[in-house]
Amino acid sequence: MSLCRYLPVPSDRMAVMWTLLTVGDAVVLEYGPAGTTHYCVSLFGAMGISPDQSLFTTHMSEDDVIMGDVRRLEEAIVELDKGYRPKVIFVIASAVTAVIGTDLVGVCNYMQQQVDARLIALENGGFKGDYTVGLRQVYRLLVKQLAGQKQGLLPGRYNVLGASASSYRIRSDLREIEDLLSRSFGLSRHTALGVDTSLQQLAAMGGAQLNIVLRAEALPAAEWLKQQFGTPYVYGVPYGYQGTEQWLEQIASVLGRPAARSVRDQLGQRQSQAATFRMYATMYRNRPHPPAAAIIGDYDLLQGLAGLCRELDICPDLLICPHTLRDITDCDPIVRHFATEKEQITALRQLQYHLVFGDDVSLHLCDRTNTGLCVSFPLVSHVQIAEHLPLMGIRGTDYILETIDRYYQVLE
Amino acid sequence: MNGQDLVSRMKRLSQVTDIKEVTQLSSAIFPGPHCPLMGAMMAVRGIKDSVLLVVGTDECTYYTKNTTISGSSFGGLDGRCLSVVLDSHDVTFGCREKLYRAFAELMEEYAPKAVFVVTTCVVEVIGDDVDSMAQQLGEQYGIPVMAVHTEHFKTENHLPGVQDTITACFAMMRPQPVGQTVNVIGQRLGDFTTTELYRVLQQAGVPMGMMLPSGTTVAEIERAAAARVNLVVNPIGLPLAKKMQRAFGTPYVLFDKYIDPARIYRLYAQLFGYLQLPLPAEVEDLYRQACRAVAGASAHLAGVTYIYGNTPVECFELNAFMVKLGMRPLLIQTSAIPGEEDPARQTILKQCDPYVTKTANIAPLQYVYDVLQPHLYLGHEYAERLRKKKIEIAHTDVLSPMLGLEVTIAGVQQLIDASTAARQLREGRAAV
Repeated sequence: MSLCRYLPVPSDRMAVMWTLLTVGDAVVLEYGPAGTTHYCVSLFGAMGISPDQSLFTTHMSEDDVIMGDVRRLEEAIVELDKGYRPKVIFVIASAVTAVIGTDLVGVCNYMQQQVDARLIALENGGFKGDYTVGLRQVYRLLVKQLAGQKQGLLPGRYNVLGASASSYRIRSDLREIEDLLSRSFGLSRHTALGVDTSLQQLAAMGGAQLNIVLRAEALPAAEWLKQQFGTPYVYGVPYGYQGTEQWLEQIASVLGRPAARSVRDQLGQRQSQAATFRMYATMYRNRPHPPAAAIIGDYDLLQGLAGLCRELDICPDLLICPHTLRDITDCDPIVRHFATEKEQITALRQLQYHLVFGDDVSLHLCDRTNTGLCVSFPLVSHVQIAEHLPLMGIRGTDYILETIDRYYQVLE
Repeated sequence: MNGQDLVSRMKRLSQVTDIKEVTQLSSAIFPGPHCPLMGAMMAVRGIKDSVLLVVGTDECTYYTKNTTISGSSFGGLDGRCLSVVLDSHDVTFGCREKLYRAFAELMEEYAPKAVFVVTTCVVEVIGDDVDSMAQQLGEQYGIPVMAVHTEHFKTENHLPGVQDTITACFAMMRPQPVGQTVNVIGQRLGDFTTTELYRVLQQAGVPMGMMLPSGTTVAEIERAAAARVNLVVNPIGLPLAKKMQRAFGTPYVLFDKYIDPARIYRLYAQLFGYLQLPLPAEVEDLYRQACRAVAGASAHLAGVTYIYGNTPVECFELNAFMVKLGMRPLLIQTSAIPGEEDPARQTILKQCDPYVTKTANIAPLQYVYDVLQPHLYLGHEYAERLRKKKIEIAHTDVLSPMLGLEVTIAGVQQLIDASTAARQLREGRAAV
């Protein structure tokens, strides 16, 4: 990539930060210049994360950089331990300390003897890759370091792995999942790693009956929990009526019992009602602009919403993934990851008469013949406040259908 | 945290003569000061036909762009804040190749009149010679290209970023025949055209020249040497003003956001002296109004204690002014310490010896409030949280767009209002 005109893809370090800040009873200490900490507050606020009393920085002077002096970090660790009594202090590198090669793991090792809080070092300076690299690392780290020993069974409880504050409407989606699993199987959520968790919940998560994995980056964590505690997991995201039905069937298969009749009936009814949209698709297929969709977002969102489009006979002909596809197993060949921002801008500007599911920047780049719906970050032209407007599940599909109806109204 | 421990760690004003001697309230700070990168962004925001090109990590470039999207100054999402995002390869081998490629795209798509290439911490650590790259790019494309260095580990806050960016504009200036215009240098908050000072100059028929960085163009910067006088409204403008004085003979007046009416009056007189114009009658009227406001203030303010956080007004001048009115600072948060000869410092120390600490660290302050128990907090804080501790906030943001005697008149009123509210709060008024 050369010139970046809009927002770059967030780095591994940013993802590590926004994930760790959602762990209650822990604090995050950055070892680096303070400006980055101050600057990040608005992004985290947009994600619904408050860093007040949980995020700290040491700042750094030129002497610290030149001499590799870590006294400032040592003092900050002791001070946080005494002053705030956190159970865990996550000590995170910055771009500067990553470049000068500060040994954070070493510092945490010898400082551990002086403090009660558990010290966990993360040496991500933002150079290991994009945010999916950070998510993959931090999910695995949280379960390996903090899931601890099996403390007892939690029958009827499940964990959500792979929810991320960087997923648009994730809190709404978690409520929808909670509702679906409660009504379908009588299950309730134990914890949602990456959005809403605590050290106590993490310590007990090995007792859950099931792990629900919402994104590929959480699969290593799910595998580890399976090996350690024997917890089965289901990987998939409930987008669309059919997609939701299949997702519930996956869970039913693991649990060995079907979803509640009432939920299956509700989904069947919704699918019948959606036949109107398939009829529209047939009607428009031979017109100058046959129904087509473009989707921009994380890999699992792309797969889920592409499935929803296919369910309604809309062809998803452009799927853009902003993050690396390197770690995706059996990657869908239709999914594209552009090497430069310019190529992506060109692809989006060329779109016409498409249903576009994307982020605010991508939607901004599409011309007015397209019909758009924001489904992912970054947000630049609106804020996320509501926690009852999911994109997943039955309610999510109901909501998305309203946009699809609008699309057909303007499609020529 | 133990508030008493935090207080005992702080030094008093009399014990320090340099910011390096001031102890941070805590080693772990939140949110911490802004960085010079943000300062550079704030400065380029006001130079309408220039481009800000940030060279740095995903994170630095992301946050900078994100900050510029709201509002129209940078042109929104499609605006003139661009970046070159560095990866591990660039950190190892240098950013030159990527910067040149990006610059070619930038010139093709944006055709700017000038470009500010702003480095970040990592670029400075790896030692890339961005100055020579900027010079070469400027020669290649025939436009001014200025390198601005914004490594945060060398500075206390964002102001050096503003200062260095506007100082870099000197490279664009050309000798001019001197006219009657006034340049305004260093205004980082608000719009100069809404100030009393602007209105007074307009009514006196004085045309404005370059207003850097509050709103100008590359062409105005090029012609800046035509000014009769430079009006420096914040010390961040001094390095540029001094360079212009040496190169073009342009005199300057440091007319910061002061509150002492006598000082402001003297500066008006100095400014109109350089312009060779009589002091307008309006200034005399405003001065009398301001003096009356000050004379009546002591009755309301005497004995009111406060913690100074951050205001738009010059820190120690405002504190000295408040001390003269009978107020008592318990703690001053600051990013600079005046020398022992400074009159404001001497005024404060004659009456009291407040604690001093560095700015932008509100997390541990919560515990200090319980120990010091001030009536007022001046600066940005969570009002509800403070009121629960019986502390009122003095809202000074209203002074941001002001310059001149209006600062005194409005500032005194804000202090009176906040002090009255603080007393009511202590007397049992329900927290609002």
